[in-house]
Amino acid sequence: MKRRTFLGGAMAVAVLGQGSSASAQQPPIKIGMSMPQTGGLAGGGKASLLGIEIWRDDINAKGGLLGRKVELVVYDDKSSASETPAIYAKLVDVDKVDLLFAPYATVPTAPIMPFVKQRGLLLMGNFSFQVNSKVGHDMWFNNAPWGPADSWAASFLDLAQKAGGKNMALLTADQEFAQNLALTARDVAKKRNLPVVFDQVYPPNTVEFSSIIRALKAAKPDIVYVASYPPDSAGILRAVNEIGIGDDVKIFGGGMVGLQFAAVMSNLGSLLNGVVNYNTWLPEKSMYFDGTKEFFDKYTKRAVEAKVDPLGYYLAPFGYAMGQMIEAAVNSTKSLDQKGIAKYLRENEHKTIVGPIAFSADGERKETATLQAQFRGVKDKDIEQFRSSGKQVILFPEKLKTGDLISPFEAARK
Amino acid sequence: MMKHRNSIVFWAGAAVFLIAVLSMTQIVRNEYPFFAGYVILQFIALAVAWSILGGYAGYVNFGTNAFFGVGVYTAVALFKATGAPLVVQIAAAAVVGMTLGFGVGLLTLRMRGIFFSIATIALAIIIETFVMNWRFVGGAAGIQIQRPPVMAPFDSYVKMLFFVQALLVVIAVSIARYIQNSRIGRGLQALRDDELAAECTGVPTLKLKLVACMISGALISAAGAPAAMYLQYADPSSAFNLSYSVSALAMALIGGTAHWIGPVLGAILLGSTQQLLAVTISSEVNVLVLGIMLVLFVVGAPKGIIGLLRPRYRLRAGGKP
Repeated sequence: MKRRTFLGGAMAVAVLGQGSSASAQQPPIKIGMSMPQTGGLAGGGKASLLGIEIWRDDINAKGGLLGRKVELVVYDDKSSASETPAIYAKLVDVDKVDLLFAPYATVPTAPIMPFVKQRGLLLMGNFSFQVNSKVGHDMWFNNAPWGPADSWAASFLDLAQKAGGKNMALLTADQEFAQNLALTARDVAKKRNLPVVFDQVYPPNTVEFSSIIRALKAAKPDIVYVASYPPDSAGILRAVNEIGIGDDVKIFGGGMVGLQFAAVMSNLGSLLNGVVNYNTWLPEKSMYFDGTKEFFDKYTKRAVEAKVDPLGYYLAPFGYAMGQMIEAAVNSTKSLDQKGIAKYLRENEHKTIVGPIAFSADGERKETATLQAQFRGVKDKDIEQFRSSGKQVILFPEKLKTGDLISPFEAARK
Repeated sequence: MMKHRNSIVFWAGAAVFLIAVLSMTQIVRNEYPFFAGYVILQFIALAVAWSILGGYAGYVNFGTNAFFGVGVYTAVALFKATGAPLVVQIAAAAVVGMTLGFGVGLLTLRMRGIFFSIATIALAIIIETFVMNWRFVGGAAGIQIQRPPVMAPFDSYVKMLFFVQALLVVIAVSIARYIQNSRIGRGLQALRDDELAAECTGVPTLKLKLVACMISGALISAAGAPAAMYLQYADPSSAFNLSYSVSALAMALIGGTAHWIGPVLGAILLGSTQQLLAVTISSEVNVLVLGIMLVLFVVGAPKGIIGLLRPRYRLRAGGKP
C-alpha cells in the first residue's frame, strides 16, 4: 500500500514536472560562482560582483535568457585557494547550477581548473593570470584583457624603447601576481637584449622603500618596471617623491596593482603624475562602446549602497561583459549546452561594453587589450577628477590610444 | 580490566568509522560531501595533533601553519621531483614535520608561555619566506599540480583523499589517546602544571617536550600533505595561512584539551559550522559568527565541550587550559 502511494506520488510529480516545463513558470537559470567578499581580494571581488549583478538585473528586465530568469548563486571564498574546491563541488553537485563563473583573481581560481576540466564544464574566467596554461582546458574563457602572456611586459617595453630606453631595472613584490609579471618581463628583456641593471624582489608588506629606491637610482636605469601590490605601490611612489629617481629614467611603472582603485588613487593624488601603468578600462573617449555609459550610470548609483569602489573601472565592466558573452552565446545556440556555448565563444567575436572580445585557443584574449596609461595633471585628494578624460592618457594599445608618452619621467611628473 | 575494555571499544569504534567512510566513498555519488568532509577531517587531525603539545604539555604552538605548509610543500617538491605516490608524500611530510618539531622542541629549552608562541609564529614566517623564494616549487606565484590517476577501489581522487584523511585522523587520535594514557601523558601533564617541580621530581621534561613536539609536528605535517593533491595547487599564502593555526587552536580549546575526544568534538563542531557558513551566510558575518562562538566558549565553558558534558574531566583537566 505504502509503496503504491509512493509510486503514485512519484508519477504525479513527474507528470506535473513535465507540465510545468511547458508553461511560462520555468525555473530560473542558475549561474554559480564564489567571490572573495572577505580577505585581501574582497575590494575587487565585491566590485566585480556588482558588475555581474547589474548584468543580471538588465537581462531579467529584458525577460531573461531563453525566457527564464537568471539567478546568481554566490558564496564567499575568503580570498583563499583552499575554500574554492568545496564551494564549486557544492555549486555543481548540490545546487546544480547551469553555468559557472570563476572567482575574481588567480589564487582562488587555480584549484578549480582541474575540476572543471575533469567534469567537462564551461568556466568563465574573471581576471586570473595564465591559470589555464598548464591545465589546457578548452572550455575556459577569461574576461580579462591580458592576452598572450608576454604582451604585458612587451607593451611597456615597446613604449620604453621608443622613448630611448636601453636598460631596465625591475622592482617586484614577492607575491604571486607580481612574480608572474616579473618572469615575463625578464624573458622579454632577454629576447630584446635589454640588459637588466637592477633586479630587486622585496617581501610583501614592505612599507619603507627609501633604501631600495636609493639603490635603484644608483644603478642609473632608463626603464623602471615595477610590479607591486596596493600598500607597496603607495610606499614606492612616496619614496620616489622624496628621493627622486634620476634624470635618466624615461618611463616608470608597468605593473603596479592598486593604482586602478579609487581609494588608492585619491590618496596618492599628485604623486601619481608621470607614472605609466597598466589598466583595463578608463574614461577616455576611445573606451566607450555600446552600453558602456549606461552601465557606469547604474554602477555609480549602486556602488554607494554596496560600499564598493566608487569608480569601478578596473573590474566591474568586465563582470558585466562576462554576462554579455554568455547572453550572446546562449541566445545564439538557443540552449544551455556547455559544449555548444564554448564552441560559440571560441569561434566568434563578442560585442561587449568593454569592446570586442575574441578568444585564442587557450581561452585568453587573442590580442591584448591591457592598457598602458600615463597619469597627468592629477591633483591631491579628489576622487571625482578621475571621472573626466585626460587624467590617464592611453598610450597602448594603438587602437585605443589617446595621447603620446611624455618622457623622461621627471619631466612628466611636473 | 577497565582499561582493556576501553581499548576494545576504541578500536572497534575506529574500525566502524573507517568502514563507514569507505562505504560512503563507494555508495555516495554526489562529490560535495567529500570535498567538505575532507576539510572537516583535516581539521580534526590538526586539532588533535595540536593538542598533544598545546593541550597535554601546555605549550601553545601558534605555528600550526608552519607545519601544515611544510607538509604541503614536502608533498609538492617530492611529487614534482620524483612523482612519488601519495603514501610516500605523506610519510615524507611526517618525517620533515618531525624534524622541524625537534627544532621547535629545542626552542622550549629557553622559551615558554607567550614567548614560545611568538617564536612559533616567527618560524612560520621564516619558512613561508623560504618557500616564496624557492622557484622549484613555484615560489611566490604558486604551482599547479596534475593529479595522477586514482587507485581502486575509489572512482574519484577526492573520495580517495577523504578516506586517506580519515585514516590520518584515526592514526592521530590513537597516538593522542596512547600518549594521554601513558607515562608520557602523565609526564606532560606534570610539566604543564609546574615544569620546575616536575623536573625536580624526576620527570624528564626536555625529553618529553621533544617527543611531544616531534609527534605533534609529524602529525600536522602529515595531515597537510594531501592538501596539495586536494587543491591541485599550492601557493605560500594559502599553505601557510595563519587561519590553520587559529582554527586548530580554537577547535582544541572549544572542544577541551584534557581528553583526546575534546579536539575531535571541537573540530567537528567548528569545522562543520565553517563549511556550513561558507555556503549559507556568504559575507563578513561568517567570520563574526566564529568569533562569537569562540568568545562564548571561553567565557561560558573554559574547559570546552568535554568540560560541559562530563564534569569529571573538569577535575582531571586541572591547571591551565
